[in-house]
Amino acid sequence: MGWKDHIQEHERRIAKARAMGSPKRLAERAEAGILNARQRIEALLDVGSFHESGLFAVSRRPGMEDKSPADGVVDGYGRIDGREVIVCAQDFTTLGSSSAINNSSKSMKMWRTAEKNGVPFVYLSECSGARIPDIMGAIGMGSVGEGFIFSRRRLVPWADAVLGMSFGGGTWVASVSDFVVMRKGAVMAVTSPRVNTVAISEQIDPEEMGGWRVQTEITGKADLAVDSDEEALQAIRDYLSYLPSNCEELPPMADVPTGSGDDANRILDLVPEERRRTYDVRKVISLIVDRDSVFPVKERFGRSLVTCFARIQGRTVGIIANNPMFKGGALDVDSCDKATSFIATCDSFNVPIIFLADVPGFLIGVEGEHRKVPGKIMNFMQALELATVPVLSVVMRKSYGQAYINMGGGRSNEMACWFTADISFVDPAVAASIVTGLDPKAEPERFAAAVEEYSLGCSPYDLAGQYLAHDVIDPRDTRQWLARMLEAHQPRRTGGIGAHYMQSWPFTY
Amino acid sequence: MAEIEIKSEIAGKVWLIEAEVGQSVEEEDAVIILESMKMEIPVVAPVSGKITEILVEKDEAVAEGQTVARMEG
Repeated sequence: MGWKDHIQEHERRIAKARAMGSPKRLAERAEAGILNARQRIEALLDVGSFHESGLFAVSRRPGMEDKSPADGVVDGYGRIDGREVIVCAQDFTTLGSSSAINNSSKSMKMWRTAEKNGVPFVYLSECSGARIPDIMGAIGMGSVGEGFIFSRRRLVPWADAVLGMSFGGGTWVASVSDFVVMRKGAVMAVTSPRVNTVAISEQIDPEEMGGWRVQTEITGKADLAVDSDEEALQAIRDYLSYLPSNCEELPPMADVPTGSGDDANRILDLVPEERRRTYDVRKVISLIVDRDSVFPVKERFGRSLVTCFARIQGRTVGIIANNPMFKGGALDVDSCDKATSFIATCDSFNVPIIFLADVPGFLIGVEGEHRKVPGKIMNFMQALELATVPVLSVVMRKSYGQAYINMGGGRSNEMACWFTADISFVDPAVAASIVTGLDPKAEPERFAAAVEEYSLGCSPYDLAGQYLAHDVIDPRDTRQWLARMLEAHQPRRTGGIGAHYMQSWPFTY
Repeated sequence: MAEIEIKSEIAGKVWLIEAEVGQSVEEEDAVIILESMKMEIPVVAPVSGKITEILVEKDEAVAEGQTVARMEG
């Protein structure tokens, strides 16, 4: 075979592998406005930065070589905002991107290489599940068991986009990623509705099983839901911009947009003077941080708590703030889980944590107890106490009981109270009721006197007087205070790199 | 247009009815205000749409998860 023949054959094989699966399937998704695997990679990465690994891989099953270009996944190296990343995109047009020996070897290698080289790992999930007949029988299943590693330590950020039906492998990756974005209409689950029907005779609506509302509002497995593939891929680019490439680096600094913090006075308009009235803390956060820098995480889940990345003076921070607009800001099972997972991410990637507290306590009741709320509270405490990133806390209004501690009370490197702060074990009216047993309607004066007694000593000056808070501040000075404390509390002896005790913290609990 | 139930996320007592039947609301607009934990806490619209029914009245006790209104969205 001469050079010309080699060149021709090489080009033919490259074209065939790059063509992916059936032209009919490719046309269908183009018509529906849904990107294919290679288009997704182009949209995700910096122009021209993609270099594929494993283009010529095919199915291990003899006779299937021509039907399995790249064995159904497109993997390789690229850049996002000039930084190296590794990406795996499942090609649904090729055998449903079903998981098999060779494509799993590819993805496994990409994952391990990302960790070894210290670069973020991005996975674009769309998968029909494991490939039958490849994994059937003892040798099939045994090979899977032997060859695959499922545990993950938070060494590099993992971001996953669920961009279609995602069963089995695609969902396993999403389940251990730091960030999951779903396109509305995509479904994430253990297995397909069809298998449910065949195996357990259950007719299931796919959206109800694992659609975006379920995953963003009920399970919290998805951090964000968007309308298109392009938005999902942009969300991953944005998410990664807040984090370092790996756990041994600091997050990148960004420019500070003009006008950041200029509207701080509006905090006094947003936060009601009357302690009974609620407000949306997200609006307050926007006034404190760099302009347009808020990136919410799990916004639709555990809404009585806000978790978001943001920047202050160009530096990434992780904000955990009670939102009184939902459940009065009370912490419940979902918000405890959300706080815990957010602390694990921030701590693992050297992101300082900022608590903004306005919390009446934990939400009590039978439903919470049945969902193990005491354990969730303790998970949250465990995470907070294991964290070695700088932790700053600001008590805005009330902060009562164990929730005061969970929101950083006595647990931060520096704590300030707004002059409106109100710190105690429980609301004075509740304390008065429980201790005296008085009916406020029957004996209003005696009850009022009891409430008055339990309201004493709750001011931020009482707390700061004993150096249990380090400062009392005007709410309008919150940004300056935080910016200065972030500079002061950089852990310089370790170059800002934490001890990462939460690297192996589980992802679902 | 789907019919959507607006449910309270907490137990409490109805303090104020903020929206009327027929009113258009945006996602997260307050529909009912409850009094609970010594605070006035909104029950908000889960999506944008139009209120079709208000199912509670002032001072009525509401349980966690109870449907307090319905809307089209």
